[in-house]
Amino acid sequence: MRLMVGLPGWARYLAALLSVGAVTAVIAALGRFHLANASMLYLVVVLLAAVVLGRGPAIVSAFAAFLASNFFLVEPRFTLAVANPEEWITLILLLLTAMITGQVAAGQKGRAEEAEEHARAARLQYEVALLMAEPSLSRAVESVAERVRGELAVPAVRIDVVGSDGVRRATASAGDMDALEALKLGIGGSDVLMPRSSDAGADAPSRWMRVRPPHSGRRGARPLRLLRVPIRSPHGDAGEIVLAAPLESELDPASIRLLEALSPQLWAAVERARLRDEATQAEVARRADQAKSALLDAVSHDLRTPLSSIIASAGSLLQSDIDWPHDERRGFAQAIEQEAQRLDRIVGNLLDLSRLESGELRPDRGWYEPIALIHDVVGRLRPLIGTHPIRLDLPEELPPVLLDYSKVDQVLSNLVENAAKYSPPGAGIAITAAVTDGTLQVTVTDDGTGIAPEALPHLFEPFFRGSRARPQSGSGLGLAVARGLVEAHRGRIWAENRPGGGASFTFDIPGNGTAQ
Amino acid sequence: MSQPGRAGTGARILVIEDEPAIRLAVERNLTGHGFDVRGIDSAEGGLELETRFHPDLVLLDLVLPDVEGFEVIQRLRSRSSIPIIVLTVRGAEQDKVRALELGADDYLTKPFGVDELLARIRVALRHAAPSGSGPDPIFRSAELEVDLERRAVTVGGRPVHLTPTEYALLGALIAEAGRVLTDRALLQRVWGPEYGSEDHYLHVYMARLRKKLERDPANPRYLRTEAGVGYRLLELETG
Repeated sequence: MRLMVGLPGWARYLAALLSVGAVTAVIAALGRFHLANASMLYLVVVLLAAVVLGRGPAIVSAFAAFLASNFFLVEPRFTLAVANPEEWITLILLLLTAMITGQVAAGQKGRAEEAEEHARAARLQYEVALLMAEPSLSRAVESVAERVRGELAVPAVRIDVVGSDGVRRATASAGDMDALEALKLGIGGSDVLMPRSSDAGADAPSRWMRVRPPHSGRRGARPLRLLRVPIRSPHGDAGEIVLAAPLESELDPASIRLLEALSPQLWAAVERARLRDEATQAEVARRADQAKSALLDAVSHDLRTPLSSIIASAGSLLQSDIDWPHDERRGFAQAIEQEAQRLDRIVGNLLDLSRLESGELRPDRGWYEPIALIHDVVGRLRPLIGTHPIRLDLPEELPPVLLDYSKVDQVLSNLVENAAKYSPPGAGIAITAAVTDGTLQVTVTDDGTGIAPEALPHLFEPFFRGSRARPQSGSGLGLAVARGLVEAHRGRIWAENRPGGGASFTFDIPGNGTAQ
Repeated sequence: MSQPGRAGTGARILVIEDEPAIRLAVERNLTGHGFDVRGIDSAEGGLELETRFHPDLVLLDLVLPDVEGFEVIQRLRSRSSIPIIVLTVRGAEQDKVRALELGADDYLTKPFGVDELLARIRVALRHAAPSGSGPDPIFRSAELEVDLERRAVTVGGRPVHLTPTEYALLGALIAEAGRVLTDRALLQRVWGPEYGSEDHYLHVYMARLRKKLERDPANPRYLRTEAGVGYRLLELETG
């Protein structure tokens, strides 16, 4: 049916006349026919013409049937004179019946087409709504362009959407190369926005313009014309849909209405995307703020704990109401020294973290004996980690490994301090070490409560503090710095829960010349 | 210069603090000042030790590895009225108020000086001590003198007239001299138990009281503001 509607007007009228002629020929060939029976045949033709060809051809065929029966069937034949006045009545009745039938049938057809058009628009809008649900606006608009191209069977479609702030939000096109080139040419380059509604007038009609593809010399290239359908929004134009169609084709008004019906959907999707972007940016800013204040909280707590004992110890030494015995004085001084060193390690962690993040930290490697390093760390930390007994499970000797002594010292210190922080007072900490193929592997295990499974992937992120952490119990910098330092050595660090309870942290340092 | 042992007069102090360095420094100092000190690094251990050691005062860190400090206050309060001084950090004003409302007697903000620590401990112990002869009828702090029997207030010998509400507010502070009182506690003691969030009354009356009692109301000597928590009346040396 759609195909016949596509016929030019004159062809449809010709078809109507030809069908009347054909029926007349059949009647003539079959010989004597009563006029009333012949009229029935003509009515069938008129009905068909109305349904298939439309209202105009139906009326033309009604008149043609009236004239043909008069001329060929009514005595005297081959004239338009009518001998029997009764036959006049039959002829007039034929004409009237044919015209009314044609009108009614054509009206029905129009309504059926309208319903079909509505159904098509509804289906397309539904599908476009589904496509626009895609979170990436540009991908969504791209699939809509492809869908529109398929629906209207045109060589190329391009969709430009502009937000209410005048910023282009998305551009997408679909179609074959030549048609797309022509489209670009017609629009005047892909970077040019369509005129805003103030220039074009809010009711600027969809308009055709004729373009020639750039490679029209090539086989298959053909002149095209462009149809620009503005996308309307409450705030004016919000972009356009541009179709490239063959020059000779005629896009029915229903299809243009279809395109115009997509406007609100496209615009709404663009606004939605803009609001989502804004919400995302606000969320990012909020999280950055949160991270910053979490860092400040954590760092100030980390710094204040050693400061508290330094101030208390120094204050004690300064009190004039007491003459402290020698051992006590020494104890206060030792506390001041140890806590000052702890402060220094915290500041070192902070500096390392910022250097790691900016990529400035390079390991300064030398050949070192791992067991001596471990004893060094444990000897320094033992007084600081309270009641946690440290068990060393080390071989008699290990071969020297190429590493940055102070950085690996810091990695191990951070792991031991972390183990002490996350296990109950008195719980033991064990350190094991091995060297395999020049790679040092060190494991620190604790008898704590273990690590929540959901926390495992985030343990080494800066400022992450596991749920087993107490409130205000430190910055969570230690593990992040440890990972950074190990990775600067091209090693790995990971954490596991031990089958018997508690957690284990392991790192390895490839010492066999993989250094830069 | 006094000898170790004199100042503390043997009072027993339980220190519940999980940071070993802080605990050790405090223990050492208090022992040197004549207190009988026990330190412990966990809440459960501290609660258990309290029943055996029978301390006269508990120094409690609010952040402990096993149980929150607030719960420790509640559990101690459910069985005794022993003075509790909590150790908190700056910026945790809400924690201080909550600890005081749960029954803590005072707080110290880390990092704290040892003189401040000793002063707070003495105030708390004095308030807890059963006073045989009833409260001293005359309160003195530097130039401020309040005769509690005659309800007469003088500053540097010059009589000061106070309205009944102003006097009630001053009286509430004198009753807890040296200790911090939260805004809510002051409101309830002076205005009545149905008050609690009408901070502005309190601040208005405190401003009037300062104008009458302080030489420089903007820089008060006696009526100190504990930012975000409440007020404290200082007992200064007289003379």
